[in-house]
Amino acid sequence: MGQRGSKIKITEQDKAVLQLKRSKDSIHRYTRRTNDLIASEQQELKAMIRANPQTYKSNNKVRLLLKRVHYQERLLDQASDQLINLENMLANIEFKLVEAKFLEGIQNGNKILTKLNKEFVNVDEIMEDAAEQIAYQNEIDETLAQNMVGVESYEDEIDKELEAMENELVGEMAPEMPTTEGLPAPQLPQRQQEQVAQSQQEEEVTEQPRQEAPLLA
Amino acid sequence: MTVPPIYAFPPLYTRQPNAIIRNKQIDSWEDILLTTARENGLWEIDTEGKFTSQTTQELPPHLQGSIFSNESIGRTAPPLFVKEILSHMLTKGSLVQGGSDTTSAYLVLWKNMDSWASLMLEWCETTNKLGQVVTLYELTNGDESIGWDFHGMPQGLAARCLRLLVKRGRATMLQDEYDRDIAVKVI
Repeated sequence: MGQRGSKIKITEQDKAVLQLKRSKDSIHRYTRRTNDLIASEQQELKAMIRANPQTYKSNNKVRLLLKRVHYQERLLDQASDQLINLENMLANIEFKLVEAKFLEGIQNGNKILTKLNKEFVNVDEIMEDAAEQIAYQNEIDETLAQNMVGVESYEDEIDKELEAMENELVGEMAPEMPTTEGLPAPQLPQRQQEQVAQSQQEEEVTEQPRQEAPLLA
Repeated sequence: MTVPPIYAFPPLYTRQPNAIIRNKQIDSWEDILLTTARENGLWEIDTEGKFTSQTTQELPPHLQGSIFSNESIGRTAPPLFVKEILSHMLTKGSLVQGGSDTTSAYLVLWKNMDSWASLMLEWCETTNKLGQVVTLYELTNGDESIGWDFHGMPQGLAARCLRLLVKRGRATMLQDEYDRDIAVKVI
Protein backbone atom coordinates (compact mmCIF):
# COMPACT_ATOMS: atom_id res chain seq x y z
CA MET A 1 0.00 0.00 0.00
CA GLY A 2 0.95 3.57 -0.37
CA GLN A 3 3.31 3.26 -3.27
CA ARG A 4 4.03 6.79 -4.13
CA GLY A 5 5.34 7.96 -7.45
CA SER A 6 8.30 10.01 -6.33
CA LYS A 7 8.03 12.37 -9.27
CA ILE A 8 4.43 13.36 -8.77
CA LYS A 9 3.83 15.64 -5.84
CA ILE A 10 0.56 15.99 -4.06
CA THR A 11 -0.08 19.58 -3.18
CA GLU A 12 -2.33 21.11 -0.57
CA GLN A 13 -4.77 22.01 -3.31
CA ASP A 14 -4.90 18.41 -4.36
CA LYS A 15 -5.83 17.43 -0.85
CA ALA A 16 -8.52 20.07 -0.72
CA VAL A 17 -9.88 18.95 -4.07
CA LEU A 18 -9.82 15.40 -2.80
CA GLN A 19 -11.92 16.34 0.21
CA LEU A 20 -14.42 18.10 -2.02
CA LYS A 21 -14.55 15.22 -4.42
CA ARG A 22 -15.12 12.80 -1.61
CA SER A 23 -18.10 14.79 -0.44
CA LYS A 24 -19.28 14.94 -3.99
CA ASP A 25 -18.91 11.19 -4.29
CA SER A 26 -20.88 10.58 -1.13
CA ILE A 27 -23.69 12.81 -2.35
CA HIS A 28 -23.57 11.05 -5.68
CA ARG A 29 -23.77 7.74 -3.87
CA TYR A 30 -26.65 9.03 -1.77
CA THR A 31 -28.63 10.19 -4.80
CA ARG A 32 -28.17 6.83 -6.40
CA ARG A 33 -29.30 4.99 -3.33
CA THR A 34 -32.28 7.30 -2.89
CA ASN A 35 -33.20 6.88 -6.54
CA ASP A 36 -33.20 3.14 -6.12
CA LEU A 37 -35.19 3.45 -2.92
CA ILE A 38 -37.82 5.65 -4.54
CA ALA A 39 -38.08 3.24 -7.45
CA SER A 40 -38.58 0.27 -5.15
CA GLU A 41 -41.08 2.12 -2.96
CA GLN A 42 -43.08 3.18 -5.96
CA GLN A 43 -43.02 -0.40 -7.11
CA GLU A 44 -44.32 -1.46 -3.72
CA LEU A 45 -46.98 1.23 -3.82
CA LYS A 46 -48.22 0.04 -7.17
CA ALA A 47 -48.33 -3.49 -5.90
CA MET A 48 -50.38 -2.42 -2.89
CA ILE A 49 -52.81 -0.47 -5.07
CA ARG A 50 -53.16 -3.41 -7.35
CA ALA A 51 -53.79 -5.69 -4.38
CA ASN A 52 -56.89 -3.82 -3.23
CA PRO A 53 -58.02 -1.28 -5.81
CA GLN A 54 -61.11 -0.27 -3.82
CA THR A 55 -59.79 0.52 -0.40
CA TYR A 56 -56.24 1.70 -1.04
CA LYS A 57 -57.12 5.37 -0.58
CA SER A 58 -58.06 4.86 3.03
CA ASN A 59 -55.12 2.56 3.66
CA ASN A 60 -52.74 4.32 6.02
CA LYS A 61 -49.81 2.27 4.88
CA VAL A 62 -50.26 3.41 1.30
CA ARG A 63 -50.51 7.04 2.36
CA LEU A 64 -47.43 6.74 4.49
CA LEU A 65 -45.48 5.15 1.68
CA LEU A 66 -46.43 7.92 -0.72
CA LYS A 67 -45.41 10.52 1.82
CA ARG A 68 -42.10 8.78 2.22
CA VAL A 69 -41.58 8.83 -1.52
CA HIS A 70 -42.29 12.56 -1.62
CA TYR A 71 -39.96 13.18 1.26
CA GLN A 72 -37.20 11.19 -0.41
CA GLU A 73 -37.75 13.11 -3.60
CA ARG A 74 -37.36 16.39 -1.77
CA LEU A 75 -34.14 15.17 -0.22
CA LEU A 76 -32.98 14.09 -3.64
CA ASP A 77 -33.60 17.58 -4.97
CA GLN A 78 -31.56 19.04 -2.15
CA ALA A 79 -28.80 16.57 -2.76
CA SER A 80 -28.76 17.49 -6.44
CA ASP A 81 -28.45 21.15 -5.55
CA GLN A 82 -25.60 20.40 -3.22
CA LEU A 83 -23.96 18.31 -5.87
CA ILE A 84 -24.17 21.19 -8.30
CA ASN A 85 -22.72 23.52 -5.68
CA LEU A 86 -19.82 21.21 -5.09
CA GLU A 87 -19.23 20.82 -8.79
CA ASN A 88 -19.25 24.58 -9.22
CA MET A 89 -16.78 24.93 -6.41
CA LEU A 90 -14.51 22.36 -7.97
CA ALA A 91 -14.69 24.16 -11.28
CA ASN A 92 -13.86 27.40 -9.51
CA ILE A 93 -10.88 25.88 -7.78
CA GLU A 94 -9.68 24.45 -11.03
CA PHE A 95 -9.95 27.80 -12.73
CA LYS A 96 -8.23 29.55 -9.85
CA LEU A 97 -5.37 27.10 -10.13
CA VAL A 98 -5.07 27.96 -13.78
CA GLU A 99 -5.09 31.63 -12.87
CA ALA A 100 -2.40 31.03 -10.28
CA LYS A 101 -0.31 29.32 -12.93
CA PHE A 102 -0.87 32.30 -15.20
CA LEU A 103 0.26 34.72 -12.50
CA GLU A 104 3.27 32.59 -11.79
CA GLY A 105 4.16 32.64 -15.45
CA ILE A 106 3.88 36.41 -15.60
CA GLN A 107 6.03 36.77 -12.49
CA ASN A 108 8.68 34.49 -13.87
CA GLY A 109 8.70 36.36 -17.11
CA ASN A 110 9.04 39.63 -15.29
CA LYS A 111 11.89 38.30 -13.21
CA ILE A 112 13.77 37.16 -16.27
CA LEU A 113 13.11 40.44 -18.00
CA THR A 114 14.50 42.50 -15.10
CA LYS A 115 17.49 40.21 -14.93
CA LEU A 116 18.11 40.70 -18.61
CA ASN A 117 17.68 44.43 -18.25
CA LYS A 118 20.26 44.45 -15.48
CA GLU A 119 22.75 43.08 -17.91
CA PHE A 120 22.26 46.22 -19.98
CA VAL A 121 23.30 48.52 -17.11
CA ASN A 122 26.85 49.29 -18.34
CA VAL A 123 25.72 49.58 -21.90
CA ASP A 124 27.15 53.16 -22.16
CA GLU A 125 30.55 52.02 -21.07
CA ILE A 126 30.48 49.19 -23.52
CA MET A 127 29.43 51.48 -26.32
CA GLU A 128 32.22 53.92 -25.43
CA ASP A 129 34.64 51.10 -25.32
CA ALA A 130 33.47 49.94 -28.67
CA ALA A 131 33.84 53.43 -30.11
CA GLU A 132 37.35 53.66 -28.70
CA GLN A 133 38.24 50.36 -30.16
CA ILE A 134 36.89 51.41 -33.51
CA ALA A 135 38.95 54.65 -33.36
CA TYR A 136 42.01 52.67 -32.51
CA GLN A 137 41.31 50.36 -35.36
CA ASN A 138 41.06 53.32 -37.70
CA GLU A 139 44.40 54.57 -36.44
CA ILE A 140 45.98 51.26 -37.16
CA ASP A 141 44.47 51.28 -40.59
CA GLU A 142 45.91 54.71 -41.24
CA THR A 143 49.35 53.72 -40.09
CA LEU A 144 49.26 50.74 -42.32
CA ALA A 145 48.03 52.90 -45.17
CA GLN A 146 51.01 55.27 -44.70
CA ASN A 147 53.37 52.44 -45.23
CA MET A 148 51.55 51.81 -48.41
CA VAL A 149 52.18 55.44 -49.50
CA GLY A 150 55.90 54.70 -49.87
CA VAL A 151 55.00 51.88 -52.15
CA GLU A 152 52.73 54.19 -54.07
CA SER A 153 55.49 56.75 -54.63
CA TYR A 154 57.68 53.96 -55.83
CA GLU A 155 54.93 53.16 -58.26
CA ASP A 156 55.06 56.78 -59.36
CA GLU A 157 58.75 56.50 -60.01
CA ILE A 158 58.17 53.45 -62.10
CA ASP A 159 55.50 55.33 -63.97
CA LYS A 160 57.84 58.21 -64.60
CA GLU A 161 60.57 55.96 -65.89
CA LEU A 162 58.18 54.16 -68.14
CA GLU A 163 56.96 57.49 -69.47
CA ALA A 164 60.48 58.59 -70.16
CA MET A 165 61.16 55.40 -72.06
CA GLU A 166 58.00 55.84 -74.01
CA ASN A 167 58.97 59.40 -74.87
CA GLU A 168 62.30 58.18 -76.16
CA LEU A 169 60.67 55.57 -78.32
CA VAL A 170 58.12 58.04 -79.58
CA GLY A 171 60.93 60.48 -80.40
CA GLU A 172 62.71 57.74 -82.37
CA MET A 173 59.70 57.08 -84.44
CA ALA A 174 58.96 60.76 -85.06
CA PRO A 175 58.79 61.52 -88.81
CA GLU A 176 61.66 63.36 -90.45
CA MET A 177 61.07 66.99 -90.24
CA PRO A 178 62.61 69.57 -92.58
CA THR A 179 65.78 71.01 -91.08
CA THR A 180 67.23 74.39 -91.11
CA GLU A 181 70.64 73.06 -92.14
CA GLY A 182 72.20 74.68 -95.10
CA LEU A 183 70.02 77.66 -94.82
CA PRO A 184 71.63 81.01 -94.33
CA ALA A 185 71.48 81.87 -90.73
CA PRO A 186 68.97 84.55 -90.08
CA GLN A 187 70.36 87.88 -89.37
CA LEU A 188 70.14 88.27 -85.71
CA PRO A 189 71.55 90.87 -83.48
CA GLN A 190 74.98 90.04 -82.05
CA ARG A 191 73.77 88.86 -78.75
CA GLN A 192 71.17 86.56 -80.15
CA GLN A 193 73.66 84.98 -82.55
CA GLU A 194 75.82 83.97 -79.68
CA GLN A 195 72.89 82.36 -77.98
CA VAL A 196 71.99 80.38 -81.06
CA ALA A 197 75.54 79.11 -81.36
CA GLN A 198 75.43 77.98 -77.85
CA SER A 199 72.17 76.13 -78.30
CA GLN A 200 73.50 74.47 -81.50
CA GLN A 201 76.43 73.17 -79.60
CA GLU A 202 74.14 71.76 -76.94
CA GLU A 203 72.07 70.06 -79.61
CA GLU A 204 75.12 68.34 -80.98
CA VAL A 205 75.99 67.02 -77.57
CA THR A 206 72.54 65.67 -76.95
CA GLU A 207 72.38 64.16 -80.41
CA GLN A 208 74.98 61.56 -79.60
CA PRO A 209 72.96 59.30 -77.22
CA ARG A 210 69.99 59.55 -79.53
CA GLN A 211 71.83 57.63 -82.15
CA GLU A 212 72.87 54.95 -79.73
CA ALA A 213 69.40 54.38 -78.41
CA PRO A 214 68.13 52.24 -81.33
CA LEU A 215 71.15 50.02 -80.93
CA LEU A 216 70.23 49.39 -77.36
CA ALA A 217 66.61 48.70 -78.12
CA MET B 1 -27.57 -12.04 -22.30
CA THR B 2 -26.04 -14.59 -24.53
CA VAL B 3 -24.41 -17.72 -23.29
CA PRO B 4 -22.38 -19.74 -25.75
CA PRO B 5 -24.43 -22.75 -26.91
CA ILE B 6 -21.90 -25.06 -25.31
CA TYR B 7 -23.29 -23.96 -21.93
CA ALA B 8 -26.23 -26.25 -22.60
CA PHE B 9 -23.99 -29.17 -23.50
CA PRO B 10 -24.12 -31.72 -20.67
CA PRO B 11 -20.56 -33.17 -21.06
CA LEU B 12 -19.18 -29.73 -20.32
CA TYR B 13 -20.12 -30.29 -16.70
CA THR B 14 -18.17 -33.51 -16.38
CA ARG B 15 -14.43 -33.42 -16.05
CA GLN B 16 -13.08 -34.94 -19.24
CA PRO B 17 -10.39 -37.59 -18.67
CA ASN B 18 -8.52 -36.82 -21.90
CA ALA B 19 -6.07 -34.01 -21.21
CA ILE B 20 -6.39 -32.35 -24.62
CA ILE B 21 -10.16 -32.34 -24.47
CA ARG B 22 -10.06 -31.22 -20.86
CA ASN B 23 -7.91 -28.24 -21.74
CA LYS B 24 -10.44 -27.32 -24.41
CA GLN B 25 -13.19 -27.78 -21.86
CA ILE B 26 -11.49 -25.53 -19.34
CA ASP B 27 -10.95 -22.93 -22.05
CA SER B 28 -14.65 -23.07 -22.83
CA TRP B 29 -15.48 -22.51 -19.18
CA GLU B 30 -13.11 -19.60 -19.03
CA ASP B 31 -14.76 -18.12 -22.07
CA ILE B 32 -18.22 -18.55 -20.54
CA LEU B 33 -17.11 -16.96 -17.29
CA LEU B 34 -15.45 -13.97 -18.92
CA THR B 35 -18.28 -13.39 -21.39
CA THR B 36 -20.86 -13.54 -18.66
CA ALA B 37 -18.90 -11.15 -16.49
CA ARG B 38 -18.40 -8.71 -19.35
CA GLU B 39 -21.99 -8.71 -20.53
CA ASN B 40 -23.46 -8.33 -17.07
CA GLY B 41 -20.93 -5.94 -15.69
CA LEU B 42 -19.83 -8.38 -13.02
CA TRP B 43 -16.46 -8.38 -11.39
CA GLU B 44 -16.43 -10.70 -8.44
CA ILE B 45 -16.94 -14.40 -8.16
CA ASP B 46 -16.64 -16.69 -5.19
CA THR B 47 -14.92 -20.05 -4.97
CA GLU B 48 -18.12 -21.85 -5.99
CA GLY B 49 -18.53 -19.86 -9.19
CA LYS B 50 -21.23 -17.56 -7.91
CA PHE B 51 -21.08 -14.02 -9.17
CA THR B 52 -21.62 -11.21 -6.73
CA SER B 53 -22.85 -7.84 -7.76
CA GLN B 54 -21.93 -4.57 -6.11
CA THR B 55 -24.76 -2.65 -7.63
CA THR B 56 -28.26 -2.87 -6.28
CA GLN B 57 -29.57 -4.24 -9.52
CA GLU B 58 -30.50 -7.86 -9.22
CA LEU B 59 -28.65 -10.57 -11.01
CA PRO B 60 -30.45 -12.31 -13.83
CA PRO B 61 -32.07 -15.53 -12.54
CA HIS B 62 -29.61 -17.92 -14.12
CA LEU B 63 -26.77 -16.13 -12.33
CA GLN B 64 -28.35 -16.27 -8.89
CA GLY B 65 -26.59 -19.54 -8.28
CA SER B 66 -23.21 -20.79 -9.37
CA ILE B 67 -22.39 -20.37 -13.02
CA PHE B 68 -21.14 -23.96 -12.95
CA SER B 69 -24.63 -25.24 -12.42
CA ASN B 70 -27.13 -25.14 -15.23
CA GLU B 71 -30.63 -25.79 -13.98
CA SER B 72 -32.20 -25.89 -17.41
CA ILE B 73 -30.31 -29.07 -18.25
CA GLY B 74 -29.98 -30.21 -14.65
CA ARG B 75 -26.18 -30.34 -14.62
CA THR B 76 -23.63 -29.07 -12.16
CA ALA B 77 -19.86 -29.26 -12.38
CA PRO B 78 -18.31 -30.99 -9.35
CA PRO B 79 -16.60 -28.68 -6.84
CA LEU B 80 -13.17 -30.18 -7.46
CA PHE B 81 -13.46 -29.52 -11.17
CA VAL B 82 -14.65 -25.97 -10.45
CA LYS B 83 -11.56 -25.49 -8.34
CA GLU B 84 -9.40 -26.77 -11.18
CA ILE B 85 -10.99 -24.35 -13.63
CA LEU B 86 -10.62 -21.42 -11.28
CA SER B 87 -7.01 -22.21 -10.46
CA HIS B 88 -6.28 -22.52 -14.17
CA MET B 89 -7.75 -19.06 -14.67
CA LEU B 90 -5.72 -17.76 -11.76
CA THR B 91 -2.47 -18.94 -13.33
CA LYS B 92 -3.56 -17.51 -16.66
CA GLY B 93 -4.27 -14.15 -15.09
CA SER B 94 -7.90 -13.86 -16.09
CA LEU B 95 -8.76 -14.20 -12.43
CA VAL B 96 -7.02 -12.65 -9.46
CA GLN B 97 -7.37 -13.13 -5.75
CA GLY B 98 -9.72 -10.64 -4.23
CA GLY B 99 -8.22 -8.37 -1.64
CA SER B 100 -9.42 -7.48 1.81
CA ASP B 101 -11.57 -4.74 0.32
CA THR B 102 -13.55 -7.10 -1.86
CA THR B 103 -16.41 -9.27 -0.77
CA SER B 104 -15.59 -12.32 -2.86
CA ALA B 105 -12.65 -14.60 -3.29
CA TYR B 106 -11.78 -13.74 -6.86
CA LEU B 107 -11.91 -10.81 -9.23
CA VAL B 108 -12.70 -11.53 -12.85
CA LEU B 109 -10.44 -9.85 -15.37
CA TRP B 110 -11.95 -10.00 -18.80
CA LYS B 111 -9.20 -7.65 -19.78
CA ASN B 112 -5.77 -7.93 -18.29
CA MET B 113 -4.56 -5.43 -15.75
CA ASP B 114 -2.33 -3.63 -18.22
CA SER B 115 -5.22 -3.10 -20.61
CA TRP B 116 -7.34 -1.75 -17.78
CA ALA B 117 -4.59 0.59 -16.71
CA SER B 118 -4.17 1.83 -20.27
CA LEU B 119 -7.90 2.26 -20.65
CA MET B 120 -8.06 4.32 -17.47
CA LEU B 121 -5.20 6.42 -18.71
CA GLU B 122 -7.07 6.92 -21.95
CA TRP B 123 -10.14 7.98 -20.01
CA CYS B 124 -8.12 10.51 -18.06
CA GLU B 125 -6.72 11.85 -21.29
CA THR B 126 -10.03 12.09 -23.11
CA THR B 127 -11.88 13.66 -20.20
CA ASN B 128 -9.08 16.08 -19.34
CA LYS B 129 -8.40 14.60 -15.96
CA LEU B 130 -4.63 14.78 -16.27
CA GLY B 131 -3.00 16.48 -13.33
CA GLN B 132 -6.20 16.35 -11.34
CA VAL B 133 -7.23 14.38 -8.35
CA VAL B 134 -9.78 11.76 -9.32
CA THR B 135 -11.43 9.62 -6.72
CA LEU B 136 -11.75 5.93 -7.39
CA TYR B 137 -15.50 6.30 -6.99
CA GLU B 138 -15.51 9.00 -9.65
CA LEU B 139 -13.48 6.75 -11.90
CA THR B 140 -15.58 3.62 -11.49
CA ASN B 141 -19.02 4.96 -10.65
CA GLY B 142 -19.07 8.58 -11.68
CA ASP B 143 -21.27 9.87 -14.46
CA GLU B 144 -18.26 10.68 -16.58
CA SER B 145 -17.15 7.07 -16.94
CA ILE B 146 -20.51 5.72 -18.04
CA GLY B 147 -20.00 3.82 -21.25
CA TRP B 148 -16.42 2.94 -20.44
CA ASP B 149 -15.67 -0.69 -19.79
CA PHE B 150 -14.35 -0.08 -16.31
CA HIS B 151 -17.55 1.60 -15.17
CA GLY B 152 -18.78 -0.40 -12.20
CA MET B 153 -15.42 -1.95 -11.48
CA PRO B 154 -14.79 -2.58 -7.79
CA GLN B 155 -12.60 0.13 -6.37
CA GLY B 156 -10.13 -2.38 -5.01
CA LEU B 157 -9.51 -3.71 -8.48
CA ALA B 158 -9.35 -0.20 -9.91
CA ALA B 159 -6.69 0.65 -7.32
CA ARG B 160 -4.69 -2.39 -8.34
CA CYS B 161 -4.83 -1.42 -12.01
CA LEU B 162 -3.87 2.13 -11.20
CA ARG B 163 -0.86 0.94 -9.28
CA LEU B 164 0.49 -0.23 -12.62
CA LEU B 165 0.26 3.37 -13.77
CA VAL B 166 2.08 4.39 -10.62
CA LYS B 167 4.83 1.96 -11.53
CA ARG B 168 4.96 3.45 -15.00
CA GLY B 169 5.44 6.84 -13.35
CA ARG B 170 2.20 8.21 -14.72
CA ALA B 171 0.16 8.35 -11.54
CA THR B 172 0.24 8.65 -7.81
CA MET B 173 -2.28 7.35 -5.30
CA LEU B 174 -3.88 9.34 -2.54
CA GLN B 175 -4.90 7.67 0.68
CA ASP B 176 -7.59 8.41 3.20
CA GLU B 177 -7.12 8.53 6.94
CA TYR B 178 -7.13 4.71 7.10
CA ASP B 179 -4.38 4.55 4.48
CA ARG B 180 -6.65 3.09 1.87
CA ASP B 181 -6.25 4.18 -1.72
CA ILE B 182 -9.17 6.40 -2.50
CA ALA B 183 -8.00 8.68 -5.22
CA VAL B 184 -5.47 8.96 -7.97
CA LYS B 185 -3.67 11.74 -9.73
CA VAL B 186 -2.65 10.93 -13.26
CA ILE B 187 -0.28 13.10 -15.20
